[in-house]
Amino acid sequence: MTSAIEVRDLSKQFRSVRAVDHLTFEVAEGRVTGFLGPNGSGKTTTLRMLLGLVSITSGGATFGGRRYLDLDHPIHHVGAALEATSFHPSRRAEDHLKTVALASGIPLTRVAETLDLVGLTDVARRRVGKFSLGMRQRLQLATAVLGDPEILILDEPANGLDPQGIQWLRTFIRHQASLGHAVLVSSHLLSEMEETVDDVVIISQGKLVLQTTLADMAAQAGTGTGLRIRTPEINRLAEVLNAVPVGWRQTAPDTLVIDGATPEWFGPFAAHHRIVLYELINERGSLEDVFLRLTHGFDTAHPPDHSGGQSAPFRMPEASA
Amino acid sequence: MIAVIRSELLKIRTTAVPWVLAGIAVLINGLLILVIYLSQNYGGPGDDVPHTTQQLRNLLGSGFQGYLLALILGVLLITIEFRHKTVTTSFLVTPRRPAFVAGKLITAAILGALLGVLMLIVALVGGGLTLTARGGSFTGLVHQIPAVAPGFILVFALFSILGVGIGSILTNQVAAIMVSLGWFIILEAILVGLVHGAFKWVPTGAADAASNLTRNGGNGIHLTLFSWWQGGLLMLVYGLVFAGIGSILLTSRDIT
Repeated sequence: MTSAIEVRDLSKQFRSVRAVDHLTFEVAEGRVTGFLGPNGSGKTTTLRMLLGLVSITSGGATFGGRRYLDLDHPIHHVGAALEATSFHPSRRAEDHLKTVALASGIPLTRVAETLDLVGLTDVARRRVGKFSLGMRQRLQLATAVLGDPEILILDEPANGLDPQGIQWLRTFIRHQASLGHAVLVSSHLLSEMEETVDDVVIISQGKLVLQTTLADMAAQAGTGTGLRIRTPEINRLAEVLNAVPVGWRQTAPDTLVIDGATPEWFGPFAAHHRIVLYELINERGSLEDVFLRLTHGFDTAHPPDHSGGQSAPFRMPEASA
Repeated sequence: MIAVIRSELLKIRTTAVPWVLAGIAVLINGLLILVIYLSQNYGGPGDDVPHTTQQLRNLLGSGFQGYLLALILGVLLITIEFRHKTVTTSFLVTPRRPAFVAGKLITAAILGALLGVLMLIVALVGGGLTLTARGGSFTGLVHQIPAVAPGFILVFALFSILGVGIGSILTNQVAAIMVSLGWFIILEAILVGLVHGAFKWVPTGAADAASNLTRNGGNGIHLTLFSWWQGGLLMLVYGLVFAGIGSILLTSRDIT
């Protein structure tokens, strides 16, 4: 598997804040890589460093071995749709794309093609100032794919999209990957991305937490299984559970979760003790749980960073979103 | 670079900026001509029709002060990108920031020159009507075009270049316009008043030299100026030095 994007020991210092801290990861060709982390974890800053918009404090980021700044007509190779990028409100959607096409030697026929691809053909002549957030996101994506690049970088592309829009976005991203393109897509919500991505890069406070495949992460999620029980006799259930070697915790006045238990074991056990049950749910840990555990776990593992970073006034790159 | 300039021209054409500035230019020059038309006493007692070479040149170049509009055009050409955050896309397309500024400079020169041409046309039409109405010579005015137009258009182009230079340093639109106008309306006059011989060195003095227009003292004040090419070169140096500083500042700037 060849790397389309390589990030090596990348760091960014904004005055007193270390926004990105020795970050290393790779994005493979033909795969969709989810770039995940809570708001303010350095995702946007990282992506903007990749694209030469934010200067790099140390380390490097390359596309097929070359920096963005060193690419000839970069938008033929790397297409980006970034948050907080804007359009001139009185410019028409079509004209916006034409300005980009003209500057990069892209044939103007591509403009209509990409508008069609993102479903904006009907509003091609409308001024962008009248666009909804979802339409702007689509126009961003159109801008990104205008040069038919082999690498796509999308920063929170699902923001502002309605459920149909998100479904459309997934199809769009999968289609790009099916063409052999590498897609790096950031999100603060794993659930938004879990049907779309092949690989995940998780960061927290500018540091890499985990780079793995989604399949691998799903396997981890599977280990977090438990059995959720709702009962009017919670005290009696707790008493009998204490007599057997299982871990459990109460999650609500009438609900508790038994770690690693199966319904096949618990059903007869409850019947034996004649305990009334209202609800018996076999819980698999979700990817989101793993994600939260990983990002949160990382924070608490570094208490000085936690107090200094999480609550510090620095929120700039992502809070503006 | 031609591709970038075509893109830049489309960018600015699809905003209100050039149309509003062109409208203001036509309006101002039209009003100036109207004032000339209404004045009963042109150039001296009993002299109600412009007829000397200098009078005709002044009539044709009546919109010369409109170079401030060319300056604002240049400032807006670059600051509008920051105001509307379109600079992110521009930098993705042209990641080398000096190249981005260079594209703006050339585009500004073209648009500034066009603004100069527009003002000359208004003066020619308005001045022609005035002369015809007063029994003066329209062909006399036309004959002054070769003497007036090149310098006039050059100065407009140079002021737009200077505007890009200022805007590349002060990317905040309001600040850039305030500083530009503040300099040309107030600060420059103070400096010239305080420092003897400073006039030929400041942009207005350089522009006057480059235009070859007010050389022979339209209002009787004789100021020492450079030759037209020295003045033009000095204006260009101002614009390019500012643009160079702006490019360096932009190169180290984070677009967040």
